[in-house]
Amino acid sequence: MAEREFSTAGMAGMKQNRIVSNIIIFVVVLVLAVLFVMPFFLMVLNSFKLSTEFIANPFSWPVEFHFENYSNAFNTMNFLNSFINSILICVIATVVSTSLSAMNAYVLTRFAGWKINKFLYMILIAAMVVPFQVIMIPLVKIYGSTFGLSNNIWMVTFIHIGLNIPFPTFLFCGFIGGIPRDLDEAAMIDGASMEGTFFKIIFPLLKPIIITSIVFTALSIWNDYILASTFLSVKEVKTLPLMTYSFLATRSADYAPMMAGLVLMMLPVLILYMVGQKYIIGGIVAGSVKG
Amino acid sequence: MNRKNQEIKLFCEFVIPPMLIWASIVVAPLFYGLYLTFTNWNGLSNDFSLIGFTNYISVFTDSTFLTSLGKTFLYVFFVVIFSNVLGIALALLLTTAIKGRGLFRTCFFAANMIGGIIMGYIWNYIFSFAMTKIGEVTGWGLFETSWLTAPTTALVALIIVTVWQMSGYLMVIYIAGITNISADILEAAKIDGANAWQMFANIKLPMIASSITICTFMAISKAFMSFDVNLALTAGGPYKSTELLAFKIYQTAFSNFEYGKGQAEAVVLFIIVAIISMIQVRVSKSKEVNA
Repeated sequence: MAEREFSTAGMAGMKQNRIVSNIIIFVVVLVLAVLFVMPFFLMVLNSFKLSTEFIANPFSWPVEFHFENYSNAFNTMNFLNSFINSILICVIATVVSTSLSAMNAYVLTRFAGWKINKFLYMILIAAMVVPFQVIMIPLVKIYGSTFGLSNNIWMVTFIHIGLNIPFPTFLFCGFIGGIPRDLDEAAMIDGASMEGTFFKIIFPLLKPIIITSIVFTALSIWNDYILASTFLSVKEVKTLPLMTYSFLATRSADYAPMMAGLVLMMLPVLILYMVGQKYIIGGIVAGSVKG
Repeated sequence: MNRKNQEIKLFCEFVIPPMLIWASIVVAPLFYGLYLTFTNWNGLSNDFSLIGFTNYISVFTDSTFLTSLGKTFLYVFFVVIFSNVLGIALALLLTTAIKGRGLFRTCFFAANMIGGIIMGYIWNYIFSFAMTKIGEVTGWGLFETSWLTAPTTALVALIIVTVWQMSGYLMVIYIAGITNISADILEAAKIDGANAWQMFANIKLPMIASSITICTFMAISKAFMSFDVNLALTAGGPYKSTELLAFKIYQTAFSNFEYGKGQAEAVVLFIIVAIISMIQVRVSKSKEVNA
């Protein structure tokens, strides 16, 4: 009896402990989260102020909301034009590199016995550690000066496609390996061609890994600065990150429109993040498993 | 058409195009780049001649390169340590039974969606205006002058911003690792009376060893290639004291027009990253087996 009372008292005590520790953890996490998000909040807050107000106190609430900072930034950044350039490069390169990688991976895994396929797969994986900096200067030399293709967004798109073959191929290879060959055989017995089998039977099954591949590729292309900066120097062909940089680097004291510009830049990605968070985070987990 | 011919046809359709694009963007420039390091090409003229190892000699006798290399090692070391520690800590906190985990995860990960240029600028304003304001109000000497105006604190600032961005990414991978640990093991340990620290040190940490391998690998290669944040946050300043390797290469080639030397620096970066990643993966993998 006594023992039983002791144990229930102990249980109650443990339960209370757990509640207390959960509250402590919650507060710690909350403080960390506020610290993590604070920079974004300050950006948005200050994008509505006057520059003088911002310098006087970055933490104050705007006296008056100056929406004209946004139209100001929108115009000076040539926003619409650079937005269209960014979208064109990003969408086309992502779609092409993801489709080509899926096709590539299909043959590399289905005919994995071929020596050439083993070799190609091996060098693709090995080449993933090549830093962009090593090929940056030769790319400029070959395509920019020799072929005269600088200031050409299609050249940049093409380079992005090439850069985004190895990792998606690697992702697709892992996934296709798990799809039973019987499916292919059955389709081919029914008279489908090999190409038809891939596009009609296999491709639809790849949906989860296609999303992963799109997430990785699109984010890296959308945020790319270094490649674009080596090829695109004329205002008309610049992408958003380039325009943001030249907008911010050339102005010195007009902070409020700059912050509006940064918010405008962040907005598309943040909206995408809110909508597709599940896929983005899922994609990162999937992409890391095979690493 | 017999089966073998069909397979060869499929290979030509599915493998050749992506591999050709990849080869023209990565393989050819890689080898051409190696060749360029042995020439005196200045980026403009089309005639240049072979000059042997002169570029490599000038790289290793250039004190600014050696300083940059040293700072890069410091930067990578601290970024890898802190982003992994913070990533694991956040993952542990977010796998407890607290409320609003999804929302917190969204907050911690958000910084990853934003490109380096925007992030660099946001933090540039935080360090230059918000932090100094805190210093002014509280009188804390630490915040009174902008961190970006002195070499040491500017490097610290670079590390902080990179950790701030990277830890959310690593957290996602660690959360996946922790949630994969079987509930039975944790339950058994709890019944045996293990406290929170013992659960972490003896069960969770060994069980996420493979996540640690992947995250460390990712952090190392990302940190060595840091360019955007470097450009937007410090632009290599003050007095060129925070030029990390990737940034230095860009400057050597595109600001000083020493293309051969810049390419030689890039090759050195490539070799360093390849060697360190190889050692790291070996060492971590051997630890995984023991665990």
